Amino acid sequence: MSDATRAVGLDDPLTNALVGTRRFFSKAEVSEDKRSMYAKGGRSGDSFYRDRWSHDKVVRSTHGVNCTGSCSWKVYVKDGIITWEAQQTDYPSTGADRPEYEPRGCPRGAAFSWYTYSPTRVRYPYIRGTLLEMYREAKARYGDPVVAWGSIVQDPEKSRAYKSSRGKGGLVRSTWEEATEIIAAAHVYTIKRWGPDRIAGFSPIPAMSPVSYASGARFMELIGAPMLSFYDWYADLPPASPQMFGDQTDVPESGDWWDAGYLIMWGSNVPLTRTPDAHWMAEARYRGQKVVAVAPDYAENVKFADEWVSTAPGTDGALAMAMGHVVLKEYFVDQQVPFFEDYNKRFTDLPYLISLVPDEGGKGYRTGKYLVAGDFDNPERESENAMWKTAVIDAASGEVRIPNGSLGHRFGDEGMGKWNLDLGDIDPLLTLHGSSDESVEVQLPRFDSADGKVSYDTRGVPVRRVGDHVVTTVLDLMLAQYGVRRDGLPGAWPADYTDPSAPATPAWQEEITSVPSEQVIRLAREWAQNAIDTEGRGMILMGAGVNHWYHADQIYRAMLVLTSITGCQGRNGGGWAHYVGQEKVRPIMGFQHMAFALDWHRPPRHMNQTAYWYVNTSQYRYDTYRASDLGTDAFEGKTVMDLLSQSVRLGWTPSYPTFNRSSLALADEAAEAGMDAPAYIAQQLKEGSLRFAVEDPEAEENHPRCLSLWRANLFGSSAKGDEYFLKHLLGTDNAVSAREAGPEHRPSDIVWPEEVKEGKLDLLTTIDFRMTSSTLLSDVVLPAATWYEKHDINTTDMHPFVHSFNPAIAPPWQSKSDWEAWKAVAKRFSEMAADHLGTRKDVVAKPLWHDTPEAMATVHGVVKDWKLGECEPVPGKTLPVLAVTERDYTAVYDKMTSIGPLMEKAGMLTKGVAYDVKREMDQLRQRNGRAHGGVGDGQPRLETDIHVADAIMHLSGTCNGHLATQGFKFLEKRTGTQLHDLSAEHEGKQITFPDVQAAPVPVITSPEWSGSESGGRRYSPFTINIERSKPFHTLTGRQQFYLDHDWMLGMGEAMPVYRPPLNMTNLFGESKIGEQNELGVSVRYLTPHNKWSIHSEYQDNLFMLSLSRGGQTVWMSDRDADKVGVRDNDWIELVNRNGVVAARAVVSHRMPEGTVYMHHAQDRLIDVPLTERDKKRGGIHNSMTRIMVKPSHVIGGYAQLSYFFNYIGPTGNNRDEVTMIRKRTTPVEY
Amino acid sequence: MKNFLWVIFPYICLAIFVVGHFWRYKYDKFGWTTRSSQLYETGLLRWGSPLFHFGMLGVVMGHVMGLLVPQSWTDAIGLDRHTYHLIALIGGIPAGVAAVVGMLILIYRRRTVGPVFSATTVNDKVMYLFLAAVILLGIWNTIAGSLLQFGGEYNYRDGVSPWFRSIFTLQPDADLMAGAPLGFKIHALLAFTLFALWPFTRLVHVFSAPLGYLTRPYIVYRSKDERVGSGVGSRAPQRGWDKSELKR
Repeated sequence: MSDATRAVGLDDPLTNALVGTRRFFSKAEVSEDKRSMYAKGGRSGDSFYRDRWSHDKVVRSTHGVNCTGSCSWKVYVKDGIITWEAQQTDYPSTGADRPEYEPRGCPRGAAFSWYTYSPTRVRYPYIRGTLLEMYREAKARYGDPVVAWGSIVQDPEKSRAYKSSRGKGGLVRSTWEEATEIIAAAHVYTIKRWGPDRIAGFSPIPAMSPVSYASGARFMELIGAPMLSFYDWYADLPPASPQMFGDQTDVPESGDWWDAGYLIMWGSNVPLTRTPDAHWMAEARYRGQKVVAVAPDYAENVKFADEWVSTAPGTDGALAMAMGHVVLKEYFVDQQVPFFEDYNKRFTDLPYLISLVPDEGGKGYRTGKYLVAGDFDNPERESENAMWKTAVIDAASGEVRIPNGSLGHRFGDEGMGKWNLDLGDIDPLLTLHGSSDESVEVQLPRFDSADGKVSYDTRGVPVRRVGDHVVTTVLDLMLAQYGVRRDGLPGAWPADYTDPSAPATPAWQEEITSVPSEQVIRLAREWAQNAIDTEGRGMILMGAGVNHWYHADQIYRAMLVLTSITGCQGRNGGGWAHYVGQEKVRPIMGFQHMAFALDWHRPPRHMNQTAYWYVNTSQYRYDTYRASDLGTDAFEGKTVMDLLSQSVRLGWTPSYPTFNRSSLALADEAAEAGMDAPAYIAQQLKEGSLRFAVEDPEAEENHPRCLSLWRANLFGSSAKGDEYFLKHLLGTDNAVSAREAGPEHRPSDIVWPEEVKEGKLDLLTTIDFRMTSSTLLSDVVLPAATWYEKHDINTTDMHPFVHSFNPAIAPPWQSKSDWEAWKAVAKRFSEMAADHLGTRKDVVAKPLWHDTPEAMATVHGVVKDWKLGECEPVPGKTLPVLAVTERDYTAVYDKMTSIGPLMEKAGMLTKGVAYDVKREMDQLRQRNGRAHGGVGDGQPRLETDIHVADAIMHLSGTCNGHLATQGFKFLEKRTGTQLHDLSAEHEGKQITFPDVQAAPVPVITSPEWSGSESGGRRYSPFTINIERSKPFHTLTGRQQFYLDHDWMLGMGEAMPVYRPPLNMTNLFGESKIGEQNELGVSVRYLTPHNKWSIHSEYQDNLFMLSLSRGGQTVWMSDRDADKVGVRDNDWIELVNRNGVVAARAVVSHRMPEGTVYMHHAQDRLIDVPLTERDKKRGGIHNSMTRIMVKPSHVIGGYAQLSYFFNYIGPTGNNRDEVTMIRKRTTPVEY
Repeated sequence: MKNFLWVIFPYICLAIFVVGHFWRYKYDKFGWTTRSSQLYETGLLRWGSPLFHFGMLGVVMGHVMGLLVPQSWTDAIGLDRHTYHLIALIGGIPAGVAAVVGMLILIYRRRTVGPVFSATTVNDKVMYLFLAAVILLGIWNTIAGSLLQFGGEYNYRDGVSPWFRSIFTLQPDADLMAGAPLGFKIHALLAFTLFALWPFTRLVHVFSAPLGYLTRPYIVYRSKDERVGSGVGSRAPQRGWDKSELKR
């Protein structure tokens, strides 16, 4: 039967007949073909979905998490209950002809509303039961809360009782009155008894919610307590950035990936960790972009890439060096590319001159210091800051010249108008090869042996003599370092690409990384050719896969060589794109001044957290190696702790508690002695009657007493060496089995008691909205508002807009926003201070800061130690800066809730640019109202979270066009170039809180950052430097490949060099990777991010627990699993000297052999059994790690290697660790 | 006691059955479900479920015939007792076996398949207990009573059936159950207990068997209800909201 003649009806006769009877049963009309039926009404069931999706209001908010997504959300509320969230769509446009920000928002964000009413929500204040009983008893007895607190912590038995019960349950419900009273009493007591720097606050990543960050930070800084850094501690800070760019981290927004012609994802798993932004990477491929993924495992991003480069974990440095070798050989030696030459002459230190010094062993020369104007006969020898003006050779005249733009021009009157990158009539010579007949042999360090120890290659470089100095250029040294042979130069050189004997040939790297040479050569050529063809649009997205290694700075430097020598840095679509953490508070200036209470007291107390815990959790005591065991023979006889304490006493790096006496008492002593406090302290130090606390960290007067965490989960997430924290800081159950250093490995400058006190901390407070490992260990837990219950703002490095948090509901149960919580503490504190503290003078010791003249403390980076009698102890030069500030402790609450007068008196200073803010202060008086009474009388109010948000935005150029323009005009005087037009288009624009409540608002180009958004372009860093000749904040003012500080030279890291992962067998006696014994098989232990265990949706989310294994897991390869008889989902146990983890195995061929992953931030709250070894609760991912301080990260007081908060500091690296893994054989018990 | 067991108790159970369903429908409309476990396991279900359900349909038919049709009627059409039993056994045994085998498969599946067992509530377990007991006793009665004839032949059509009918004619006669064997008595009591549990268990799905699907066209359009009092849409007016008018 053909279609044309087929009868109308259904296909099979039975159905046809059955349906044909329908008309007898129904009023509804059945169509002739019996396919449809037309009923009237009967839609009451619709109410099912209508009611499901009906709501009372929609409120804009976001998630204050360190995910860099910064997605704006619609939060739906029904009957006063938060029901669900949906993606906002009203982002600013990226401009014509390119993909938009919208749509954005990932499944993790969409899962957050679950937490509002989750079973682990903290609903009430809780206090450790044993402590509360003691406190109530003591208070009944003494009446005064401070005295009551003192009676507990002074009694060793009582302290031990409550400290040893930490983490074992026993939190009981209390009230806000009682909880804040205990917190305030402990803080007052600690200041009175030990000094304010024995208190600390930790809250990470202000960009995710700067008002909430500012709440506790402002309180801490007002009482004189240090805020602990986070960026270095998280190992998110790439030290290579300060080293090379003189900038903390400045990266392109994700919208700029679209502009790149060539994109390498190197240790950054974009679709997994940058989910809402991954679309740009996928879209750019349709535009012709080539995408390469470098990853040891078959990661999610590998699937999106055109090419997968599979390196052995931790060997990325060798890969980058080999790519650099090919680029240098083919584009700098075999041919000269004008695009590269022009760029490097102006924007990098390749043409700068380095003095070579004769090797002490008589083997030729070693690399030395930058040649500066003060070193040789020239017209500028006697000029201001002559020791800070670096030199080049002019090609035309052959003379040594001093170009503008070095650090010497940045400060002082003579440098006015000269701090710029204009070369004038100078044409710098990149290489002396060809223009100089003389060459010498230089010792070049390499570390590629099995044990990671240094050996030296001897290779020739062309040199000139300048006065007494034998000099060469950085490029000539780099070519030698990279093993690129040139005619006529002596020494041992690799023959060609296939020579594996010496760095940094492709064949050499193949033996290390396992990446085929051909692939490396091809990638390097593609990279360089793309840079030429697109004028620098080659981009490397780099991330934690690379950045969390001990030697990550070296890996990064080798990678940054690729982006800088090819002219990609400072371009749209080009350069480095480091995405590790939401580090960028776009309105940084307003934020810093409000959060650190710089409107009332300067300077603030800022501490680098890695060193803080290295010292205060006594991890230094487990360093069974010396600094000289870390590769080179530098630091003979010293330990890392010795070097840290030297760094502290020279004022390089901060250290709190600072002295072994209270900073309040020292001010009093100085007054009694009739001396200025700084002079008094310098004298006391010299006499030896005063010591730095770090020199005797176990003494009771020298360790921290109170720690507050908010927006942070230290003990479930970031605490590298978690078990050492439990043992030494908290004094409770732990799984440390490491042995302490024997006499041969002990520091020489540090007091070393045989027995140390455990449980240093008197009070641990956590403010959170969900129960975490940190709340379980805390003495006081306060219930926080979630991100759908407060006002705040949010910015990231990946998007140039500001948007808002708003409360969809009032904080439920007894929770409060962070701002209100800390106000409550401040109020109670101020009341108690009246009886116990009053007004005191406080001597603040602050390290030598970057972006200030203090960065010129160490000429040539030559270390002189006053303790060794090599110089005098001078505050601000060879000692920390010592500044006295007066603290009225009874006025802390009044100060917290009003903006102080220092803003008008002293203005603001950020990254070397000064601002006058009288106009802004008046605006804030109008906007927020004036405070009445107290010390803040007549000042702008800072009562509410909205007041703080508005203050931050009024006091930053990124949100206030007038301030940005003012800053650029200030900078113009120094650079002598035009800059203010960058923000002039927004001169009259002020972004206010109502603006960001309405929609995300794009920011304004400001001197606070190095890139430009002017005219609506996509943000890329250093575009102002490149396009407007503004120097980088480095010694030369250029991007620096060469670092000449004594310690860098000693460590063999003057130039990028491949350094393998630390050898944990040599350092700690751990088994070699691959070895098997009764504890299982030894493997590399990595802790990357999981898609589902952190950032707005955590591991404790019931849905995800149901869908996965219901608790902690460890990923391992099928081959390792076979070795120890583990099958998928088996219980396994990890054991190393640091701790024990009991988890389930996920066995996958996705994992490379010899490496296991335990994903980051799998808390110990849920389904964590007792371990087989200890019969104690298993640990978290960081139970297997510990803090490893790299000495070069605590260099200070020298140009770009000077301290600033979160700008530079020892990283909390964790990737070099190894562990044993085995199948669990005994029954699992809880 | 006699009156309680055979008069009061059945009425209580039937009252709960009726009122319970009404209550369940009114207050737990979205909970009116079998909570299908097909998503968790299909292999065993594919055999067990049809066996059980179609078997049960046969069993129910048998009960209709045996309980509701008086012996006088079959006698009237000249069906002798032997023939009647033969018909009952020919129809009843396969149905009973299918139901029992299906039930065993389903219970086995429910216990041994992890996700299915995890989705089994206490309510389900209690219901299964009674359902299984009723079915097994019923089978036992058939086998013991009709085939093996333990303890002499018992003609339920003289005792149990009239008693059952007497309940519905509102002239309950407890004496009719006096002579019934213990197996029949317990079967009847458990069955009534099951009726009392019925509305609160997944058994309510009996009343939502998708019979309409047999005759349903593929697409059903439902236009707005245009009866008086309903305007745009069919949702009842919400408090505080005026209904918008949409005129043709």
